[in-house]
Amino acid sequence: MKRATVLVGVAALAIAVGLWLALTAPADALQGAFSRIINIHVPSLWLAFLAFGVTAFGSIMWLWKKRPRWDRLAMASAEVGVLFTAIGIATGMIWGQRVWGTAWDWGDPRLATTAVMFFVYLGYLALRGAIDDPVVRARRSAILGAVAVVQVPLVYFSVNMFRTLHQTQSIRPDGSTMPREMLVAMLVNLAAFTLLYVALVVARMEVAEAEESAAEREAMAGAEVKPPRLSEVGDV
Amino acid sequence: MALLCSLRQVGVSLGGKTILRDIDFDLHPRQVIGIAGPNGSGKTTLVRTLATLVRIDRGQGTVLGADLGTDQVYEVRSEVGLMGHRPAVIPELTITENLEHVCRLAALELSRARSALGVVGLEDAARTRAGAASHGMLRRLEVARLLLTRPRLLLLDEATHGLDSSAQELIDALIARTVAGGGAAVMVSHDAERLSTSCDAVMGLAVGRLVAGA
Amino acid sequence: MSFGDQTLELARVDLALERRLGESFRIIAPFALVALAMFPMALGLRITLVSEIGTAVFWALGILFGMQVALRRSSTDDRERRDLHALLGVDPAARFAGRVLAGSLLTTAFLVVLFVAMVLLYGPRLPLAAAPAIALSIVMVAVGLSELGTLAGEIAWGLRDRTALASLIVAPLAIPLLVAGSQTFEAIAAGAGILPWVLLMLTTDLALAVAGVAMARPLEEATR
Repeated sequence: MKRATVLVGVAALAIAVGLWLALTAPADALQGAFSRIINIHVPSLWLAFLAFGVTAFGSIMWLWKKRPRWDRLAMASAEVGVLFTAIGIATGMIWGQRVWGTAWDWGDPRLATTAVMFFVYLGYLALRGAIDDPVVRARRSAILGAVAVVQVPLVYFSVNMFRTLHQTQSIRPDGSTMPREMLVAMLVNLAAFTLLYVALVVARMEVAEAEESAAEREAMAGAEVKPPRLSEVGDV
Repeated sequence: MALLCSLRQVGVSLGGKTILRDIDFDLHPRQVIGIAGPNGSGKTTLVRTLATLVRIDRGQGTVLGADLGTDQVYEVRSEVGLMGHRPAVIPELTITENLEHVCRLAALELSRARSALGVVGLEDAARTRAGAASHGMLRRLEVARLLLTRPRLLLLDEATHGLDSSAQELIDALIARTVAGGGAAVMVSHDAERLSTSCDAVMGLAVGRLVAGA
Repeated sequence: MSFGDQTLELARVDLALERRLGESFRIIAPFALVALAMFPMALGLRITLVSEIGTAVFWALGILFGMQVALRRSSTDDRERRDLHALLGVDPAARFAGRVLAGSLLTTAFLVVLFVAMVLLYGPRLPLAAAPAIALSIVMVAVGLSELGTLAGEIAWGLRDRTALASLIVAPLAIPLLVAGSQTFEAIAAGAGILPWVLLMLTTDLALAVAGVAMARPLEEATR
């Protein structure tokens, strides 16, 4: 657990710095202090997509190399990813309610894709929960992870073919639309959240490895059945 | 002559449990080997491993020249015949339809299904739905299938269990024909006595390990 | 035996089983029709609204119940039948293709029944001249749903919660089909071109076909 503990500590420190920067940076002229929510919203959604990509990557690597750690990576990333996806969607809805006047904008492909991804994660984790055999579980969830990564971009394209109302991305290469301090705060938070993601994934992978080796030790086929004590049949 | 099956230090885990460990096993052409073991000793898993249907987790093995764990197994699977401890039939189809399905997938003429049913004594039951047929009838149906597909490697998992003597003789005849054609058979049962009457040698399987003599 | 012959034989047997089990048209279709009748009842007598939402309700129910057709009981094999097919030398990709073929036919028939019922109950504004375009979108969505259902059914094969779990897997991934199908009808009603939506359905169907064939062997190994 050493590596994970150190990482979690560093991530907590980084989050604290990010939070302080987010709360002290000057507020957006139009949206006021409320705009500070993007310091959580944007990093969460970035991690939602990153985690989904890492799950797909772990899945494909497992199918190729068949090493248990790729399966653990895919699983850990999905579990952490579903958390950040939920946070990203929730903060987005709060922000949308305030700024657009509606919590959910059906014409926004990013929103729809994130929601679909959230349910794909839930299906992925439900599938894992339903299978006991570690190898069967790894194989089937890897296949789902690989198929989902083909299908999710199609969700994006399909909704993108509707009209989009979403405001343009906030970070632009040529001059930002954000005050400098706010941009710095958000970038620090992006880094801090990413660190937190890495720390949680590493910790989850270590727990999974410990669980698997414990399960392996106690699993011995045929060992549970002892010869019946025939002389005692009458006593039962 | 080349070995039909060869397993070296093979280990298999299923459902997170070790089912087979350190299995060394050779099968020569024209050999009939019996494997006896109590319930839960890993007999079915061993048979399915030899049928290339179970992935091996440790060790290595070849079946009909194909390395287990590689795509080579797809090339040899049609030469393996398996009679599992539950009959492989589609219950909603009739006995004839089941055999015709096999003929179509094995690229055999449909008329051969009818004559094979006659050989195993099922001509009068041809229109019975497999789901409504008795265990003995389904076993005869499986013998008909294996007579048609002519596997080189015949694997029988508790195949004679609960059968009348004429059905048992039918299975012995199937084994005899397979062996006469240069093939080999592995019979698995909890009944070592029954195995010793049909097999050249009987091995024992206990808690996932194979031991010579039973 | 060739890939095509294996595919046809497996599809033939799937359809023969469905004819005997009758799950698709004796259980799933009536259930979907009840659901179809519930929307106008919930809306009361707002006739214009009913005719406006008709096509949208058709696609939403078509996707949800169509995937149940794709996941019907006759689309799953027990272990013995899987072993039998494997040892008869059936190509895993042919198993996928055969199942998709049978599923596509059944899902198409199901969607046609649902569509006719929707037209009768909701009275949507769809020109008769658009019949070929409507048929095309129904077939293409049926193929995509059947591919997704076959993949998800295999992934969840042998698990206690197979149907519910596979439905959870299929539903979010079927969104492109839902969008393309419903937007095709919108475009027809508005007199606009349907080509972008047809291309979207085609892309989805092809992507799933490639995924199904590529994953056929790993899936076969995963269910042993």
